[in-house]
Amino acid sequence: MSTLRFIVDNFQEVMYLTWEHIWIVGIALLIATPIGVVLGIVITKHEQFASRVLNGANILMTIPSLALFGLMLPILAIINMGLGKVPAVIALVLYSQLPIIRNTYTAIKNVPPALVDAGRGMGMSKWKLLRELEIPLAIPVIIAGLRTAAVMNIGVAAIATYIGAGGLGVYIQQGIARVYPEMILSGAILVSLLAIIVDGGMALLERMVTPEGIKVQRKLSR
Amino acid sequence: MITYASVTKTFGKGINTVTALDNVSFTIPKGEVVVFLGPSGCGKTTTLRLTNKLETLTRGTITIEDQNIMDLDVVQLRQRLGYVIQAIGLFPNKTIAENIAVVPKLLRWDKERISKRVDELLQMTNLDPELYRDRYPAELSGGQQQRVGVARGLAADPKILLMDEPFGAIDPINREEIQDEFLKLQAKLKKTVAFVSHDIHEAIKMGDRIAIFEEGCLVQYDTPEMILTQPKNKFVSDFVGADRALKVLGLMRVSDIINRKPKNIIQGATRSQEALNFLKTKESRYGIVLEKNKSIGFVTQKSLKYEEGPVRDVVEPNPLLLREKTPLRDVLSSMLMYDTATICVVDGDKNFAGTVTYNDIQKAVKASYADETENVKIEVIS
Repeated sequence: MSTLRFIVDNFQEVMYLTWEHIWIVGIALLIATPIGVVLGIVITKHEQFASRVLNGANILMTIPSLALFGLMLPILAIINMGLGKVPAVIALVLYSQLPIIRNTYTAIKNVPPALVDAGRGMGMSKWKLLRELEIPLAIPVIIAGLRTAAVMNIGVAAIATYIGAGGLGVYIQQGIARVYPEMILSGAILVSLLAIIVDGGMALLERMVTPEGIKVQRKLSR
Repeated sequence: MITYASVTKTFGKGINTVTALDNVSFTIPKGEVVVFLGPSGCGKTTTLRLTNKLETLTRGTITIEDQNIMDLDVVQLRQRLGYVIQAIGLFPNKTIAENIAVVPKLLRWDKERISKRVDELLQMTNLDPELYRDRYPAELSGGQQQRVGVARGLAADPKILLMDEPFGAIDPINREEIQDEFLKLQAKLKKTVAFVSHDIHEAIKMGDRIAIFEEGCLVQYDTPEMILTQPKNKFVSDFVGADRALKVLGLMRVSDIINRKPKNIIQGATRSQEALNFLKTKESRYGIVLEKNKSIGFVTQKSLKYEEGPVRDVVEPNPLLLREKTPLRDVLSSMLMYDTATICVVDGDKNFAGTVTYNDIQKAVKASYADETENVKIEVIS
C-alpha cells in the first residue's frame, strides 16, 4: 500500500520518468528497426555475409549491459557524450540488432522457394517480389522480433540510469542507495508493467499486420 | 514457336561439374502442346527453366519467335511467357483476383481492364467470379487452386505457356477433369505450350508431341502415336510401358477405322427368308438392320432360319451405339463387356454412320506396329 502511496504522491515525477523511459526505448527502436530489417533482408540475398552478421549481432547481445556502457564511455567521451541518453540509446540499438536481424532473416528465408520461383518466373523484379510476397509473408515474424527487442530494451533501459540516462531505473537505483523500499518497488513495478503493456501492444500489432490470407490459411489448417 | 539449338546446361565447376542437359535440339511448333517427359533428374524441368531464364544457358541458343532469349530483357521475357507451376505457386497473401492480376499489374494495365480480365479468366476456368474473386488460395480446393494457377498463367494472354508439372499435385479424378478443361481451352486459344510431366498418361493425353528425356539427353521427339508404336530404344519402350498397345487404342478413335459401307446391311422391311439368302451370299453370319437410316439392331442367320415376317420383328436391339470420336480403347472395352464383335456407329442425329468390328481394331493395332514387328524379338512379359 505504501508503494501505491509513493506513486500517487509523486505522480508528476512518475509520469515524467515513465515518459523518459518510453522515449529512450522508442527512439532506440526507431533507429534499430530500419538498420536491422535492412541488414536482415540484405543477408538473405547475400548469403555469404549471413553467418558473419548474425554472429556479430550475437556477440553484441552477450556483452553485459553495464559492461557495454563502460566500454562506450571512453569512446563517446571524445565527443563529450560519455554519459546521458546518447550512450543509452546506442546501447539499446546495438542490443536490438540480434532479434530484429535474426527474425527478418529467418522469416524471409522461410518464404517457400516455390512461391519465389513462381514470382520470378512471372517476371517480378527482386524488389517487387520483396514488396508483394516476401515482406508480407515475413512481417508477422519481423514484428515478433521487434517485440522481443522492445521488451528486452525496457529492461536494459532501467540499468542505463547508472550512466545518467534517466527513466524509471532512477527509482530503483536511488531507492537502493537510500534504502527506500517503496521507491525501489515503485520503479520495479512500473518497469515491469511497462514491459507487459508493450508486449501486449506488440502482440496486437503482430496480429494486425498479418495478411488476411495468411490468417485464413492458419485457421483452415488447424 | 520455341527453338532449342544444341542446348547444354552444366551445374557446378571443375570436377564437380554435373551435366544436366547435353546438346539438346528441337523445336516446339506454334500452337502445339509439347510435353517434356522423363524420370526425375532427366533434364525436363531444366529445359523449361532455361526457357524463361530461371536458369542460365551454358551453351547453345534458345529462340522464341525468332528472337534469341539472350538478347531479351529477363523481366520482359518472363512477362511474355505465361508460367504455371504446381498449386503451391499461388501467393497466399493475395486474393484470387490479385493472384491472377500479378502479370497484368506488372504490365501496368489499368484497374478496369485488369478486373474485366480477371472475371473473364475465372469464367474460362469454370470458377464463378462472384464466388471466388475475393477468396484466398487457402480457401480453395487443390483443383480449384490449380485452375487459378492456369488462369494466372493466361492472364496477360501470352502466346507461349510454360507449365511445370501443373497438375501434379491434384488427385487423379480432379486431374482428369482439369486436363480435359485445359485441352478444351487450348483448342480455342491455340497457345504454344511447353509442358513438363513425369506421367506417360498425361503426356499422351495432353501432348501434340512428346519429348522424352533421359539423363540430360533428348532420346525421342515425336507424336504420341510414334512414341507408342515406334519407341526408339529400350528406355523409351520401358518408359511407355508394356501396355502400349492399349495406350495406342486410347489415342485412336472410331473415325480412324470406321467401315462406312458394311456389306451386311438389311432394311427392316425385308422378308426374313430373303434376308437369310442375302446373308448367305455375302457369307456373313449376321446383318445390321436399318430403318429410315437408323440402326434398330441386328439379326443372325440362326435367328432368321424359321421366320416368315419382315426382319424388324425378329431384330435384336443394339446393346450400345458409338460416336465417331469415341476412343478405340473404350470400344474394345465395350466389346468385351457386351460380348459382341460389331458395334454400330451413329452421327449426331443418331443416323447410321457405319460399323466397327473387333477385326478392324486388331488390324489397326497391327498396322501401327508394322515397322516394329519385322525385326521383333520375343519379349517375355513378366
